[in-house]
Amino acid sequence: MSRLPEVPDADPPVVQAKGLSKSYGQLLALSELDLTVLPGERVAVAGPSGSGKTTLLYLLAGLIQPDGGELSLMGRDMSRIRPGRELSELVGIIHQQFNLVPHLPVVHNVLAGRLGQWGTLRSLFSLVSPRDRELAQNALERLGINEKINERTLRLSGGEQQRVAIARLIVQDPRIVLADEPVSSLDPARANEILQILTGLTGDSAGALVASLHAPDLIRKYFTRVIGLREGVLQFDLPAERLDGPVLEALYDLDRNGSNQVESPIF
Amino acid sequence: MIWTETGRTRSKARFFENRRLLSLVLAGVLVWSLASVDWGAGVVHTGGGGALKDFVLALFPPELSPHFLRLALIASWQTVAYAVAGITLSVIIGLPLGVVASGTLAETSRSRIAAITIVRFLLAAMRSVHELVWAVLFVAAFGLSSLAVILAIAIPYAGILGRIYSELLIDVPEEPLRALRSAGASPTRVLLYGRFPIMLGDLLSYSFYRFECAIRAAAIMSFVGIRGLGYEIQLSLNDLLFSEVWTLLLFLVALVLLVDYWSTRVRRSLAS
Repeated sequence: MSRLPEVPDADPPVVQAKGLSKSYGQLLALSELDLTVLPGERVAVAGPSGSGKTTLLYLLAGLIQPDGGELSLMGRDMSRIRPGRELSELVGIIHQQFNLVPHLPVVHNVLAGRLGQWGTLRSLFSLVSPRDRELAQNALERLGINEKINERTLRLSGGEQQRVAIARLIVQDPRIVLADEPVSSLDPARANEILQILTGLTGDSAGALVASLHAPDLIRKYFTRVIGLREGVLQFDLPAERLDGPVLEALYDLDRNGSNQVESPIF
Repeated sequence: MIWTETGRTRSKARFFENRRLLSLVLAGVLVWSLASVDWGAGVVHTGGGGALKDFVLALFPPELSPHFLRLALIASWQTVAYAVAGITLSVIIGLPLGVVASGTLAETSRSRIAAITIVRFLLAAMRSVHELVWAVLFVAAFGLSSLAVILAIAIPYAGILGRIYSELLIDVPEEPLRALRSAGASPTRVLLYGRFPIMLGDLLSYSFYRFECAIRAAAIMSFVGIRGLGYEIQLSLNDLLFSEVWTLLLFLVALVLLVDYWSTRVRRSLAS
């Protein structure tokens, strides 16, 4: 249903990809992908390991450059978006391993979300006496770990570190939120909690959420749409509620001999 | 998988082959040089045994008179002062040079290559000349002054520190830096929030080690006539007062141990 959102035609898609391709040497990670994400959509990306999920997210985040195809965010050509402030306002990503700086106190890891906005001098002064401390405080409060604000990040548990990474994203406040396997190592209760937070981040904004995950029940509960990737090729693109067992089984089936394998240069 | 493993073992085997060959060459050189020594004409100083015995016995006890201890304390203070000034200056010079030499701030690959080439050459030139040679040069230029000695320590040490710092900056794991970049951080801000905090422990540890070396270097500067522990050791040796030499040597060891202890304390406080 949300594939047909009630927005005027003038609103550009949040993400528009045409023929997007990326390979690493011999390995074709993403092949001729077309994808359009509209404002307010929450898109789950499913697929077995090595199917190109992380590659897709990294391309959307501007962390890697495509080999071919076109990509635009909020109607603007990706190659014209300046890295730094401009890109960080448009898109932010939570990495699978959280990728925090373990040696810094939590407050600096959270405020690192402001590094696109701050000048270099301001960033330097903030290391001595944190600027915009309330921003970090509020973000951590929302995630229920504000008492950890002055702890060294390496002393936090894995779950707490993930919250710090999310707090950094809250402080960054991008239009598009990307999350690489945000619930892969969490128990069901925590997975629900994290997805609630993530969907809350983009809930009523004009942005979008794109996250890779596998659990069909979580996809149906928190996402509006699901796409399936296998060996870099789009397998399906469905409203989340139409995701069912057979579709997923086919996607993850180890022995399947699909036509895409013939095209794949790996074997 | 199999491909990478055979590749690795093959290169490993080659490495060992090269190393064996090198060892063989070096052993050959040793035998050759031993053969060319004229063993007949007093390679070993016949009175040396007696002198060594005198020297060892002088340790029991070393010279502990209040007057001499005071002198040793003052000499230690002078040596430490030169070492602190020298290492401080070398960190001040070495850190920015190390940052440039790491190429982590360069925006384009061309400017990165230019910066790396020029600064690495500069660092190599600074450290390839020994501090004593620098001291002789500077004393010749400025006369026998503190500045000459401090510069003589600071320049080669800045060359060494700059090189180590640049390697530490490059070796920082990529993942946290990638996250900072995707939060919009410029290379300078990635340096401040990622590379520096991650490398800080190693930076301190190595700088402290170099501080120990600077104490040693400051002591040996008596060679060019500067006062300090080395100067007093030289005077006592000239007078064959071995117990005084022992006292001064013990002070030198104590200084190095103190720095070692301080370094451990600093790193522990950093880790907690």
